[in-house]
Formats: sequence, C-alpha cells, structure tokens
Amino acid sequence: MRKGTAALLGAAALALPNVNAWAATQQQTAKTKVVTATKSFTGATAQVDRWGYMQVTIVVKKTTTTNLTTKKKKVKRKILAVKVPVSPNHTDRSIFINQNALPILIQETIKAQSTGINMVSGATDSSDGFTQSLQSAILKAKAW
Amino acid sequence: MTRVEQIMGMPIVVDVRDVEDEVALEPIFDWFRWVDETFSTYRADSEVSRLNRAELALADASPQVREVLARCDELRTETNRYFDVHAAADDVLDPSGLVKGWSVDRAAAIADDLGWRNYAINAGGDMRLRGGALPALYWRVGIQHPNERQQVVAVVAGDDLAVATSGAYARGDHVLDPHTHRPPEGVLSVTITGRDLATADAYATAAFAMGTKGPHWTARLRDYEAMTILADGTSLRTPAFPTVD
Repeated sequence: MRKGTAALLGAAALALPNVNAWAATQQQTAKTKVVTATKSFTGATAQVDRWGYMQVTIVVKKTTTTNLTTKKKKVKRKILAVKVPVSPNHTDRSIFINQNALPILIQETIKAQSTGINMVSGATDSSDGFTQSLQSAILKAKAW
Repeated sequence: MTRVEQIMGMPIVVDVRDVEDEVALEPIFDWFRWVDETFSTYRADSEVSRLNRAELALADASPQVREVLARCDELRTETNRYFDVHAAADDVLDPSGLVKGWSVDRAAAIADDLGWRNYAINAGGDMRLRGGALPALYWRVGIQHPNERQQVVAVVAGDDLAVATSGAYARGDHVLDPHTHRPPEGVLSVTITGRDLATADAYATAAFAMGTKGPHWTARLRDYEAMTILADGTSLRTPAFPTVD
C-alpha cells in the first residue's frame, strides 16, 4: 500500500513538467496567427536605350503575423523571384581573344545560374529600364 | 528588414537581418541623402557644383569632399589614368564614379557602429556585405549577364565582402577609354571583389575601360579579385575570385 502511493506520487511529479510544457506550447500557438500569401507584380514597361523595351515581374511572398492578444499585425514581404517577360534584343559583338596570352586566369563559358541569391551585382542607374520597371513593381508590392 | 530608396539617381537597397524596425534604417538613408546634396553634379548648390564654378575653394570644402578627391587622385595613378574623374568632360570635375562606392563604405561603417552584424548595402548594383542573409551565414550575390539581364552568370558568396560591376550596360557605352575617348571593345563587364567598395568600383571601371587588356591588369591586383565577361560569351577570373555553385 505504502509502496503503491509512493509510486503514484512519483508518477504525478514526473508528469507535472510535461503538463507545463504542453500548456506553454498551446499558449504560444494560440497567441499569434501567421498567414502567408504569394502574388506577382509587373512593373511598367520601360525603354532601354539600345536594346528596346523591358518589363519586370516580381513574385512576392507576404507573411502576416497577427498577435491575437494585442491585435498587432506584422507584415513581411519578400521577393521570391524576378522575371523579365519582355526582354530586350541584343547585338552580338564577338571578338577574338588570344587565350594563350592569359595563363594565370581561369577561363569558363558563362552559363545561367539562379540558385538562391540575395542580391544582384550589375551596372544599373535610374535611366536604366530594368531598374525603372523593377522599382515600379516593388512600389506596387509595397501597397499590397 | 529591406528598404529601397532612389537616391543619387539609383536604387539604394539596405537589407539588414539584425533589426526588424524600419526606423532603425534612417541613419543610413540620411547619410546617402547628405552625400547626394554634397556631391551631386545635378544640384547647382552642391559643393561639387560650387567647386566646378570656382565659387568654392578646395581648402574650404568639407573634409569628406577633400577625402574623396584625394582618393580619386590616388586611384588615377594606381590605374594608369584608366580611372579618371576628369575624363567625363573637359575640365569638369565629376567624382560620382568614386562617391557611390565610398558612400556605401561609409554607410557600412555606420551600420557597424549601430551594432549590425548581418547586412547588405547595395547602391545601383555595387554593394558591401557583412555577416549573412540569416539563417544563412553568408550572402550570395548573382552577377548579372551584361546583355541578358534576367540571367545570372555567376554567384559569389562572402561574409565580409565588397562587390562592384562595371559594364557597357548602364547608360549605353558610358565608360570610355580615357586615352582613346572611345568605348572599350571586346569586354562586356568586369566584376571586382575585395574589402573596400570604393577601390573595387574604381578598379572595375578602370579594368573595363582597358578592354581586352583588363584581365591582365586585374591578375596583378593585390587583395582584389576579378571576373571579366568577354564579348564572345566566355569569362576570365582570377583564381581566388569567390564564386560558388
């Protein structure tokens, strides 16, 4: 009998922290609500000096986190992809390069890559069609 | 937290992973606005415009203006006059080519002082990176194809890095060989990586202006790595250029 009570108490003591942990997670998930949505925004068509027209589409993920206690909303927008539905033509200006003259440089054929980049390095400015179109697409996304 | 603003005639993107509050980014954008007011050649009342009209003596210019012009002179010598802020038009001073990179370097110093450890500051495609795009521990930067702009031709990664690209694709052929006054031939773009963006940007401009001689010159640079995209669709890079797959 004594042994049985001790065993029961032990079981209760062991169970307590688990009950608390369960209550904590319930509280945490009940306090905030997270809603995500994805939408595309197409920027204005912009003239590119030598190469014709350009139009940029961005795919934006919007994450809205609502604190159910304070009713405060936090919105995060992230550009998932940048696409160019209208891309300019370009003239091919190939030129012969003497490869033997470049012994300490590594030569490769350039190829498209796109895996998980955070930024793009390239020469841009305000008169550049890509930037203009991208800017207007970003402004549209900000208003979403 | 990412914020984009059009200042100095280009989009400035600040992506910081340490802060959530947009207000925290104000000191960085205030700095860029001050740089624009002080250095713009499009504003008649800027210090640079007043220097050009000889209304302001160099000795009376702000220390930042004197610092930039002194660095322009150093880089002019270092690049055999291929980086030359006087080259744009005769007798007109236009340090814009250095101001962009220099102002980003200074903005990075402000970010460091604010205690930021994971940020990217990008001015018109040239940038300083620190830490990582959390949860990643580094930043990944795509190098844009000079002609097919939706394509990225290489990816560089780093946690303390400046990346600058110079090419014919900004304002048409806006970079001229200062010795021939003609656009360089055979090269589409040059990307330089290193610690300091002002230097990387000046080197990229100079190497691009050198045309097909550029890769040879970049191979001898100390502490800076280069990738040159040639008109025939091949690239040449120095062995330590920080490309990743």
